[in-house]
Amino acid sequence: MIGCYDFCGHYEWTFGWLERAGGHALVRAYWDEAINQDSQAHARDLITAEGIPGMLKYWGHTLAEESPDLGFTISHGPDVFRLDFHQCPSRGFVLRNGLDQYRDYCDHCMGWIGPMMRTCGYVIDHEHNHRGQCWWEIRPAGTPGGHAPAGSVAGAKDARLQPDWPGPAARLHRFIKATDPDTKTP
Amino acid sequence: MNAAPAPGPGPLPYTDTKPQGSADFYFAINATFRFLLRRLGREGWIRYLADLGRDYYAPVNARWREGGLPAVAAYWRAFWAAEPGGEVEVVAAADRVELHVKVCPLIRHLRAQGRSPVAEFCQHCYHLGQARAAAAGLALRLQGGDGACVHLYAPAAAGLPPQDLRAIRENAP
Repeated sequence: MIGCYDFCGHYEWTFGWLERAGGHALVRAYWDEAINQDSQAHARDLITAEGIPGMLKYWGHTLAEESPDLGFTISHGPDVFRLDFHQCPSRGFVLRNGLDQYRDYCDHCMGWIGPMMRTCGYVIDHEHNHRGQCWWEIRPAGTPGGHAPAGSVAGAKDARLQPDWPGPAARLHRFIKATDPDTKTP
Repeated sequence: MNAAPAPGPGPLPYTDTKPQGSADFYFAINATFRFLLRRLGREGWIRYLADLGRDYYAPVNARWREGGLPAVAAYWRAFWAAEPGGEVEVVAAADRVELHVKVCPLIRHLRAQGRSPVAEFCQHCYHLGQARAAAAGLALRLQGGDGACVHLYAPAAAGLPPQDLRAIRENAP
């Protein structure tokens, strides 16, 4: 049986297999069709119905299960939902176990959350450093501008204000008001 | 793409900081199968499982090859302890290891949460497990399905009868 205990390991392996079998388009389709539209359909339904309170319910439950040592924080305001990962349980599993079958594991989050938020009417500001730290701000579609200043939503919990951000030789990827995994910069 | 990493010291090749996994990941496993079956067909899905068994599980397969049936039993005891919600007995004998799955945690969770397993779901244990067993000089035979089944591991040289895929029940919608 394929287990859930090491899910992040065979999930990461699967990205590499799909890319070899059908190229980048198949990986993108997997994140959208299998993860967003099928596996996590309960998230889309909750957020479509309730908006930011639905995000609080979904990520509050999911992250408490995945990361019982609470390597994350959730912040929110009337028009913003924010996640800060100080120790991502998923990326952490991959790094600790030396798994490296796909060129950018962290892309999977934008790969399914991006299309889900597009459907629900939101856009995402996001950065990740590939070392288990990242942050997300989700606002209604049409919100103008770039990234909000560090600390303006999450205060001292902002991942960008942590001493290990972005970290030595970190490869930082950035998304601005995005819903597509291929729109990252640089 | 890198080679498979060296296994850790315990029976499980890849370890987490928490003792059990999150059952909601079972949704993603089922959704992955549905995606592969729709996009690549049954043969593509079987190829995925066989590649996964040979490659991702290579550290386990090596341990099974070196340690034989006791290593198989040790792995499965640790595996089931890390999966939430199952009821499984691992029976080790001199010539075989049997997994008596009384309650499959994966099928149980999917059903409890109103998710429909793909019809072929339970065959994944055979296609994946046989690839792993073959890499270790073993054979797997499976019967049952849809929430309860028996897995039998024995040396390939034991000459078990071929797997009858009709002995693996398809999953009701």
